[in-house]
Amino acid sequence: MRQHLIELVLFSTYAELRAERARSYLGLIWWVLEPAMQMGAYWLLFGLILKTGGPDYLPMLLIGLTVWQWMKSCVTHGGYAIWTNLPLIRQVQLPPLVFPLVQMFADTIKFLYIFGLLLVILWCIGYPPNTAYFALPLVFVAVFLVAAGAGFVVSAVVPLLPDLRFVIEQVLTVVMFLSGVVFSLKSVPSPMREVLELNPIAVLMEATRGILLRGEWPNVVGLTKVSVISIAACMIGMTVVARLAPRYPKLAT
Amino acid sequence: MSDVLIELENVGIAFDAQRRVGGARFWALDDVTVSLRRGERLGVIGRNGAGKSTLLRVVAGILQPDRGRVRRAPVSCQLLSLALGFTPHLSGRDNAILSGLMLGLRRRDIVARLTAIKDFCELGDFFEQPIAAYSSGMVMRLAFSVAIQVEPDVLLIDEVLAVGDAEFQEKSGTALRERMGEGHTVVLVSHDEQQIATLCDRVLWIEHGKSVLEGDRDVVFEAYHRDLHLSGAPA
Repeated sequence: MRQHLIELVLFSTYAELRAERARSYLGLIWWVLEPAMQMGAYWLLFGLILKTGGPDYLPMLLIGLTVWQWMKSCVTHGGYAIWTNLPLIRQVQLPPLVFPLVQMFADTIKFLYIFGLLLVILWCIGYPPNTAYFALPLVFVAVFLVAAGAGFVVSAVVPLLPDLRFVIEQVLTVVMFLSGVVFSLKSVPSPMREVLELNPIAVLMEATRGILLRGEWPNVVGLTKVSVISIAACMIGMTVVARLAPRYPKLAT
Repeated sequence: MSDVLIELENVGIAFDAQRRVGGARFWALDDVTVSLRRGERLGVIGRNGAGKSTLLRVVAGILQPDRGRVRRAPVSCQLLSLALGFTPHLSGRDNAILSGLMLGLRRRDIVARLTAIKDFCELGDFFEQPIAAYSSGMVMRLAFSVAIQVEPDVLLIDEVLAVGDAEFQEKSGTALRERMGEGHTVVLVSHDEQQIATLCDRVLWIEHGKSVLEGDRDVVFEAYHRDLHLSGAPA
């Protein structure tokens, strides 16, 4: 049973990526073009017009938006997955968690593809590889856990209250601005800066930038705290999904 | 009693009638009691909206009862669902694998049966093309060819006995009747009384979500027809 579910999740992830590539004329190019256009907009605003970005603004922005886009996609795509698959849930007995997991894995593969390109860009603009790169998998696991924890909780509740989608989009925009994704928290005056640095996403942004731009090893205590909180969120989300699972096939269409 | 695979006792299923907070619920199944024994072919009859399809989904384990009890032996039950998980931009081959996985098959089993699926659906080179390019008839051919590969302990069929054009209907109908005749345990929901009379040993009649009568098919059909005649409803 467990092996069958693993096969189902893996093949569904492959199918999702194949289908997404086939849905548009430019296919895989959109995976890069879409975040690049978003980066261009922020760079124009903060880097050129407001000139508040600072000397390393472009690489900082590239890293921040690449990681944030991965997290946001996991939360939204994974979070809406049970709701969008309700017709399927009414026809077949499958654990509902399969659906968010497929979306999160697909978004993770897209992220790794984009992250590879990001590394090449960083090397070309003067940020060469360093030994702290070995810590990247740890940071990525923590990022995935944060996103999965939030995604599972959202996925459990949205089928019951689909209107929450409109709130979630706005909340995510606020979280992005409070996490130092498009600007450095170092430019925020105390004591607000110390408050913002308590945000787990800000910790992960800072850890990723420290590794890639300055060759700094991440703060293990901070990463551990973030991971523990995220694992707790994952377990809460999975428990809520399991509890609500019998209700999903009975919801109104 | 050890031959009883699934037993429903006074089972009720309520659905949300509206998508709103505090919205009303309606009871699609109100009070159904039935048991299914190994090797038995049970037909389910009743008017439209009686709860026949809901009952199948309870037996399949998709719906959990809101009242009453379901007891089941450790057996696999699968609803014969067509085109489960089909994705337009994927090839026939990939959709066959995806749908087979959703129907509970292991990947190695589906891959081993891909040649049989391709031969059965007679799609030729289209099997490697995205199904977005298929006609609806071609999609149903592929869907049936995948679904017929599944061999659960209990096969649940909701009206799907034959699909496609006349020639493929003959082929798919024959394949399914062969499957039902192989000693499998089957629950069949159909409006076609002739099919139920031919294929089933026992019949359950449900009405307004309640089991009215269960037993020998001739006895149940006689009572059902008498009721239809009295109420003046079309058969």
